[in-house]
Amino acid sequence: MQGTTRSTVVEVNADVLAGKKKLAAEQRDRFTQQGTLVINLVSSPGAGKTSLLQAAAKYWNGRARMGVLVGDIATDRDAERLRPFVPVEQLTTGGACHLELSLVQQGLARLSPEPYEFLFIENIGNLVCPASHDLGEHLRIVLLSTTEGDDKPAKYPKMFRTSHALVISKSDLLPYVPFSVEAAVQDARLIQPELLSFVTSSTHDTGIEDFCAFLENARHKMLTARDSSRVLNGEQSPGSKSRLAAGEM
Amino acid sequence: MHEESLMRTLLRQVDHLARQHQAVSVDEIQVEVGPLSGVEPILLMSAFERLVVLTNFETARLVLREVPLECRCRMCFAEFVLENFRFICPQCGSGSVEILRGDSMRLLNVSMQIPDRQEAC
Repeated sequence: MQGTTRSTVVEVNADVLAGKKKLAAEQRDRFTQQGTLVINLVSSPGAGKTSLLQAAAKYWNGRARMGVLVGDIATDRDAERLRPFVPVEQLTTGGACHLELSLVQQGLARLSPEPYEFLFIENIGNLVCPASHDLGEHLRIVLLSTTEGDDKPAKYPKMFRTSHALVISKSDLLPYVPFSVEAAVQDARLIQPELLSFVTSSTHDTGIEDFCAFLENARHKMLTARDSSRVLNGEQSPGSKSRLAAGEM
Repeated sequence: MHEESLMRTLLRQVDHLARQHQAVSVDEIQVEVGPLSGVEPILLMSAFERLVVLTNFETARLVLREVPLECRCRMCFAEFVLENFRFICPQCGSGSVEILRGDSMRLLNVSMQIPDRQEAC
């Protein structure tokens, strides 16, 4: 049957990633309801993402329940480095330059099911592609090591624009490298004025306490916002907050 | 190099639209990209050429419309085009600037050949 055809233009005008962004927002909401603050850790390869997580795990020393999903193109070396400290699952992308939500969800299904307070997703080392992919995280934290040079924020604007906090890592090497913390932070804030910044050395345990305190505070804010929206929606929420709200009625 | 994965997502959407409209063929796919879309147009085009031959609309053309980064100041509401990724309002100097356009990859429209309705009846 060979009928005649006519031309038509179907207007769409939508973000190609809109569907994936919606799924990521739903996943984020599930994390919020579970009380898990999710952090997407991004950087160049070798900036110290795994070392920062090791340092955070040692600092908390079991006082905060943290889990890690760690992405790499090949090998499970990073997972092995973290396994002595925290529950961890390796996500191996087999060549892909960034993590996507579906891969994160597969890893979540394998990660031992605990009520995590903090779930870290260690992204593939890459300052370009991971910037475009929402993994359902609450915070995107970008690491910049002192050996990479302080000119990186201006070179990778999307990554810094979409991040909430900047961690300048390997601060113990500052005496030996031409890196200005001030210049890097200033440059990054031209791109993202609300960017918070931390200066850390994982090998010398510098700045780790401040970094962890920031995460604890961010989780606290997330829970407060969640509970108040539950109260406003008339839902029963666990904990003293709901009891207090009920007592006031 | 995530252009290939974005192109797969795009082509799945086009395939879905083509089926929905019972298209006989797809002529043209118009896509908007900007400075903060996180894609390189040349790589996007080569990913399209590699992947479109695997679809049911292998003769389709991809047209990339490059747009500048359009922003609005949250303080004084001035609208302007940002050239240098320095998110400072040129009018009032505020750093509270939102992006209106140019930070995503958008499927604008798809031109296709569909069966003529009078024929189909």
